[in-house]
Amino acid sequence: MTTQADPLPLRRTSAPLGRLLGAELRWVLRRPRTLVMLGLFALIPVLIAVGVVVADRRSGGGLIGAVAGNGLVLPIAAMSLALTLLLPLAVAMAAADAIAGEAAHGTMRGLLLAPVGRLRLVGMKAFGVLVVAALATTVIALVGVLAGLVVVGGADGRLVTLSGTTLGLGEAVGRVALVVVWTVGQLAAVGAIALAISALTEHPLVVLASVLGGLIVFGVLSAIPALEWLQPYLLTSGWAAGADALRDPLPLDGMAESSLRALCYVAVGGGLTLIRMLRRDA
Amino acid sequence: MAAGRSAKRSGWVRAGLRVTVAGAVGLGLLATPAGAGAAPELPPVSPEDLVSSVIAARHEPFAGTVELDNALGLPPLPQLPQAADGTSTARVWSGGEHQGRLSLPTAQGERTIVTDGTTLWSWDSADRTVTRRPIGERQEARAATDPTAAATQAIEMLRSTSAVTVDGTAEVAGRPAYELVLAPAPTERTLLREVRIAVDAEKRMPLRFSVLATGSAEPALQVGFTDLTFGAQDPSLFTFTPPPGATVTAAEPKSTSPAPGAPATSGGPTVVGDGWDTVVIAKAPAEGRESPDLSSLGTPVSGSWGSGRLITTAVATAIVTDDGRIAAGAVPEQVLTEALST
Repeated sequence: MTTQADPLPLRRTSAPLGRLLGAELRWVLRRPRTLVMLGLFALIPVLIAVGVVVADRRSGGGLIGAVAGNGLVLPIAAMSLALTLLLPLAVAMAAADAIAGEAAHGTMRGLLLAPVGRLRLVGMKAFGVLVVAALATTVIALVGVLAGLVVVGGADGRLVTLSGTTLGLGEAVGRVALVVVWTVGQLAAVGAIALAISALTEHPLVVLASVLGGLIVFGVLSAIPALEWLQPYLLTSGWAAGADALRDPLPLDGMAESSLRALCYVAVGGGLTLIRMLRRDA
Repeated sequence: MAAGRSAKRSGWVRAGLRVTVAGAVGLGLLATPAGAGAAPELPPVSPEDLVSSVIAARHEPFAGTVELDNALGLPPLPQLPQAADGTSTARVWSGGEHQGRLSLPTAQGERTIVTDGTTLWSWDSADRTVTRRPIGERQEARAATDPTAAATQAIEMLRSTSAVTVDGTAEVAGRPAYELVLAPAPTERTLLREVRIAVDAEKRMPLRFSVLATGSAEPALQVGFTDLTFGAQDPSLFTFTPPPGATVTAAEPKSTSPAPGAPATSGGPTVVGDGWDTVVIAKAPAEGRESPDLSSLGTPVSGSWGSGRLITTAVATAIVTDDGRIAAGAVPEQVLTEALST
C-alpha cells in the first residue's frame, strides 16, 4: 500500500512510449499527402496490370514481360519497379516532414522542449518513417496480388517462377511477403539517411533533393565500368535481388547481402540523426 | 540535474558515434571480398594418380554455384552479348550419375536446364519456351576402361607437348584442392602460359578451370565453384513439368553423324600443327541468321596467303580471309599466316 502513496506520475519526466508512437502515427496518417500518396501507389500495380492485359503479348524479357498470363508476378514486379524511385521518394517525403518539416514550421522547438527524451524523439520519428515505408510497400503488394489474380489472371492461380517451376498460391503469397519485408528493409536504409539529412537542415526540399539526387548518382556510378569496385558500397546495387524471389529454389544470398548492406546504412543514418538531434539546441 | 542530463546526453552522443562508425566499418567489411585462405597442406600426389583418381571418381550429388570470369577480350558481338568480358554465375545441382539441373540467371530472367537421365528439358523465361529432348543411352565405354591406364595414356600424350605437374594446393569454394597444371613445352608457339585445373582433394572432382595467357597474372578465362555442398539433393529438382502457358517443343536427340539431308559444305576443318600451336582452318559459315556477322570485326591484314581480317583476343587469334576461310588457334598471328600459306 505504501507504493501506491508514492507520487509516481509526478516523477515521470517523459511520456510513455506507446502514447508517443500513437501520436506520431496519427500525425503521419492524418496528413492528406500521405493518404494521397498511398492511393497513388495502389494505382501502380493496377496500371501495370491493365497495360499488360491491353498489350496482350509477351513483349520480350524483363519482369513486366513475365507478368503476362502469370498474375502473381505482378506484386513483385510492381515492388521492384517502385523501389527504383517512387518508394524512396515516399520515404524521403516522410523523413523530410518528420524533422526538417517540423523545424520549418517552428513546431520542432515545442517538441525539443517537451518532456520527451531526445532518444525517444528520434525513435518516434524513425517509427513514423518506417510506418510510411511499410504501408506504401504493403499497399503495392496487396493491390498487386489482387490485380494480378483478377485483372491478369492466368497460370490457374499459381505462380510460374523464372526457373520454370510452378508454385501454389500459398507459397507464392509467402514469396510476396518476403519481398515486402526485404523492400521495407531497403527503404529503412533510405529513410535513415533521409532522417539524418532532415536533422541537418531546416528545409524539407533539401531532404527530397538529396535523397533523389543521391539515388540518381548511385545509378550513374554503378553504370561506369571503371568504378566497379564501388558497387559493394552502393545501396542500389543490391536492388535487383528482389527478382530472386521469383527463382526456384529460392536463392537467399542476394537478398541477405543487400539486407546487411541496408543495415549498415541504417546504422550510419540512425547514428548521425541521433548525434545531430542530441546536440541540437531547443 | 542539468549536469547529470548533459552527461547522459554526451553518453548517447558517443553511442551514436559508435553506431555510425560500426555501420561504416560494416559497409567496408561487406565490400571486401573474402580473401583466399592459405594454401592447405595436402599429401603429395603424382599427376598420373591425380588424373586417374579423377577418372575413377564416382559422381556424387552436390549443389553449388559456378562463376565464370571472362577476360578473353573478345570483340563485342551484338548478337552474342554474353560472350563479352565479365562475370556470370550459374547454379548447379547434381543428383549423381545422370541427373542434373543448371540455372543460368540473368538480371530479370532465367534459363534452366534439367535432366532426369532420360529427357533433357530446357526452359527460357524470356519467351516461356520449353524444349524437350530425349537423351540416348550414355556410352559407358569411357568408364569401362581402366582409369589408371587411361590416365597414364592421356598424360603420356600431353607430355609430348606440355609439362604436366601438380603445382601446390589451393582452396576453392572453401574446399582444399590440388592444382594440376598443364604448361606448354618451350618449343610450342602459343599465347597460353598454362592451364590450371583445381581438383578436390577428397572427392576428386574438378572444382576450377583457369586459362592463363602469357603476359598476364590474372586468368583470361576462369570457371569454378564459388560455393559447393556435397550431399543428397531433393529429387524433385531433377524433374521438370512444363508450367501452364509455356510453349513446349520436342527436339530430336542429338546425333553425332550429320543429318542426311544436309549438304557437306566444308568437308571438315583442316588441322595444321599439333599440341598447343594447333591451327584449325575451316570454311566460314554461310551468311545466315545463326552466324554472327564477323565482317565488321578485327583489323585488316594481308600477306602471301591473301588478305583478310585479324581478330585477336587474350588467348586466341583468328584470321577471317576474304575468300571465306577462317584460321584460328591459341597462337600468335605469325603461326596463323604460316598455316594459311601451306
